[in-house]
Amino acid sequence: MAEALVIKGLSKRFGGLRAVQDVSFTVQENETVALIGPNGAGKTTSFHLITGFHRPDSGSVLAFGHEVVGLKPHDVCALGMARTFQVAKPFGAMTVLANVMTGAFLRDRHIAAARSKAREAIEFVGLGAREQTPAKDLTTIDQRRLEMARALATQPRILLLDEVMAGLNPAEIDQAVALVKKLSASGLTIVIVEHVMRAIMAVARHIVVLDHGQKIAEGAPKEIVENPEVIRAYLGSYVHPPGDAHA
Amino acid sequence: MQTSGTLKWLGLAIGAVVMLALPQLVTSSFAIDIFIRILLFSFIGVAWNLMGGYAKQLSLGHAAYFGLGAYTSTIMQVNYGISPWIGMIAGGVVAMLASLPIGWLCFRLRGPYFTIATIATAQVLMLIFLKFRDFAWGAEGTTIPNLGSAPLMMQFEEKSSYYYVVLGLLAVGLWITHRIEKSWMGYYLVAIGEDEDAAEAVGVNAPKIKRDIYMISAFLTALAGTFYTQYIYFIDPATAFSFNVSIEAALVSIVGGIGTLWGPVIGTVLLETTSALLQSWLGSSVGGIQLTVYSLILMAVILWRPTGLIGFATDVYHRTLRRKPARA
Repeated sequence: MAEALVIKGLSKRFGGLRAVQDVSFTVQENETVALIGPNGAGKTTSFHLITGFHRPDSGSVLAFGHEVVGLKPHDVCALGMARTFQVAKPFGAMTVLANVMTGAFLRDRHIAAARSKAREAIEFVGLGAREQTPAKDLTTIDQRRLEMARALATQPRILLLDEVMAGLNPAEIDQAVALVKKLSASGLTIVIVEHVMRAIMAVARHIVVLDHGQKIAEGAPKEIVENPEVIRAYLGSYVHPPGDAHA
Repeated sequence: MQTSGTLKWLGLAIGAVVMLALPQLVTSSFAIDIFIRILLFSFIGVAWNLMGGYAKQLSLGHAAYFGLGAYTSTIMQVNYGISPWIGMIAGGVVAMLASLPIGWLCFRLRGPYFTIATIATAQVLMLIFLKFRDFAWGAEGTTIPNLGSAPLMMQFEEKSSYYYVVLGLLAVGLWITHRIEKSWMGYYLVAIGEDEDAAEAVGVNAPKIKRDIYMISAFLTALAGTFYTQYIYFIDPATAFSFNVSIEAALVSIVGGIGTLWGPVIGTVLLETTSALLQSWLGSSVGGIQLTVYSLILMAVILWRPTGLIGFATDVYHRTLRRKPARA
């Protein structure tokens, strides 16, 4: 398997706060990797650094061999790395279809082509019935679906999902897990930031644990849940899946 | 779909015929003057709306481009005898080029800070034209030499001719807006207006798109500046770079409905007719009362219908007739 994403020595400071310190990990092609850790561990900041929203102080990010550090977010997206946001950012005044078409225009600027690509992505995430709904009227889970469809429409090879399951009820989490598995089955490489341990255990092949901006562990899910350092820093009394939805 | 398309074309054709026939039917020079004002400010609003409406980059400095257009063509005409038709295009190009450094500076800021910066740019340009007396006549300005009937120099004896010129400008502005709205560019503009970060995340090069639309917007606004100077035969920095132009451009769009094709036109018709009617009804009774009433109407629209009259009309239409949400 080829390496899709290679992150080396990534660091970022905000004033006196070391948000991310010397974080390295590698994501293989078509693998799903989860980034976990307590609030403020630097997960979202890592996403910002990887996708060009923040510039790291040092370190490198290689996406399929291309250095991404220093590129603008739209260039990163054009290279085939798309992301969703922790707080969904729909284009509220636009319909679901128009939202997703905006993503599709990256690869083809013809209206008809973008529309059919967008419809494909909308069907894929299961929003077909909401195509003409203004994005601001969607429920939380549908907004997350929209974020994913919009990212998919840019035809990425790597998809970064930032807490797509936060605020969902258990039934919705099952739907979201199924969707992530479906994305992975379609050949995408996925990096997912998540708090819902049940979901992580279901989708991730590999887990990277951050705490205070540093990587404290990484490995297969089974090893991670038994790692004493991870239990101390993050999981607490959580022992084995399938347990409660929230660790 | 088919019938609504046919209806649209029919409506457009009837509208065009009415607009073309209007100066023949209504010959009062006072009325034609009001029509010209309405068309002119509709056009300026349309130019502003491309950036301020679709991409929600709220500029209050479009007088900068209005003034640059006015001065470019006037300087070319008065000093070098070049036709304002050529000067108009030259003014557009000057405005377009000026929008590059201005945009480079102002787009570093977002929201209200951006707006304030744009106000400053128009003011700075006004000061420059006040100071440099040798090439732009300083504060007293200059009159355009009256050549009588000289269509090639954009001078006409009939007021209706000016009407047709500005009607043509408006048609061009609306056509450009329509083409942009229906293309990828329109989606990108609205996306940037909604959430710039999210737009960037799906591959939208927001700084480039903003720069491009600002150039188009500046170009069109400059054409209005040339036309206006030719129409009133006079130019000075206070008129050419008047803050009122910037305000009016934004206001007609906001009242009519920002980010919609016809919003600026509807907004201008409403505001200009209201102000003209108030002027004739109330102007002679208590001084300044028409401005007070005008402002109250404006406040009412902004308070109750922040999406503008077009938004109001679509709401009513969908609630009563279609029971379906609007397409963005």
